[in-house]
Amino acid sequence: MSHDITLSGDHVDLRPLEAGDAALTLAWRQGARARLLNPGAADAAEQAAWIAARPANEYNFMIQLKDGRPVGMLSLIGVNALSKHGETARFLIGDEDAVKGVPAAVEAMKLLYEFAFDRLGLQRIFGNVTSDNMLMVKWQKYLGMKEEGRMRRHHFLNGAYQDAIILGLLVDEYRETSLPRMRALIKMGQAPARAGEGDLNAHEG
Amino acid sequence: MPTKDEVLAIVYGAMESLNEEFDDDQKIALEPNTKLFGADATIDSLSLVSVIVDVESAASDALGFQVMLTDDRAINEAVSPFTDPDALSDYILVLAAENA
Repeated sequence: MSHDITLSGDHVDLRPLEAGDAALTLAWRQGARARLLNPGAADAAEQAAWIAARPANEYNFMIQLKDGRPVGMLSLIGVNALSKHGETARFLIGDEDAVKGVPAAVEAMKLLYEFAFDRLGLQRIFGNVTSDNMLMVKWQKYLGMKEEGRMRRHHFLNGAYQDAIILGLLVDEYRETSLPRMRALIKMGQAPARAGEGDLNAHEG
Repeated sequence: MPTKDEVLAIVYGAMESLNEEFDDDQKIALEPNTKLFGADATIDSLSLVSVIVDVESAASDALGFQVMLTDDRAINEAVSPFTDPDALSDYILVLAAENA
């Protein structure tokens, strides 16, 4: 079951993941950057079927630049309306070259957090990151998530077991820490470079 | 007061740490004018956060005060401190002078 929600930012939009995105997202999942994520579908048909079968408590988005180019994916899954929590998942920048110098990843996450906390009224979001994925752990902690635990040997990836680090963020931590830092990083991406060092607007989608 | 070379070494250390996460063809050059963020940048915002975290930590330890690179002061600079390692080092030196 899909949704029809699109979230708009200055640099990127989050639009619903559709079966037509199967080939592209499968290619991303099979790329080098996804080596620390769980393996995806075996082929595009299986990926399309998986996309079509997403349950109602999941919000699966494609991250696309303002010119419409898809550059990644991001999901909020397991949304629990009673306990008001949800899990961030499937965060992957598939087209790395397209987002160099663009605050695409941080704005995509900001749009998802705004959706989770301000529109769905969640109190908490959480996720787990493979322990070898140090860039993602560092990123999530900087943006306000706190380490809440570790599931030992939780993932079998690349021929070896890896721990999963559990990270969580409460709504008040989002407002106090995440939001200011996300806004700062986005503004950094818009700030003029040192004089004579490039087109000031070249990175804006 | 730290020297420019000492601060540059802190920034390069953070970039080296980032490079450890990259394949060989993705590694960024440890040079003063390597574009970090904004136009013609060599890294995305996920990688920039790695550099910020490591520079803030190492610079705070070395300089003896809390170095903040994404506070209001930093984001309201006329030019981005994250243009390149040279600009970032200059910005940290300004902070060091103010806290001397």
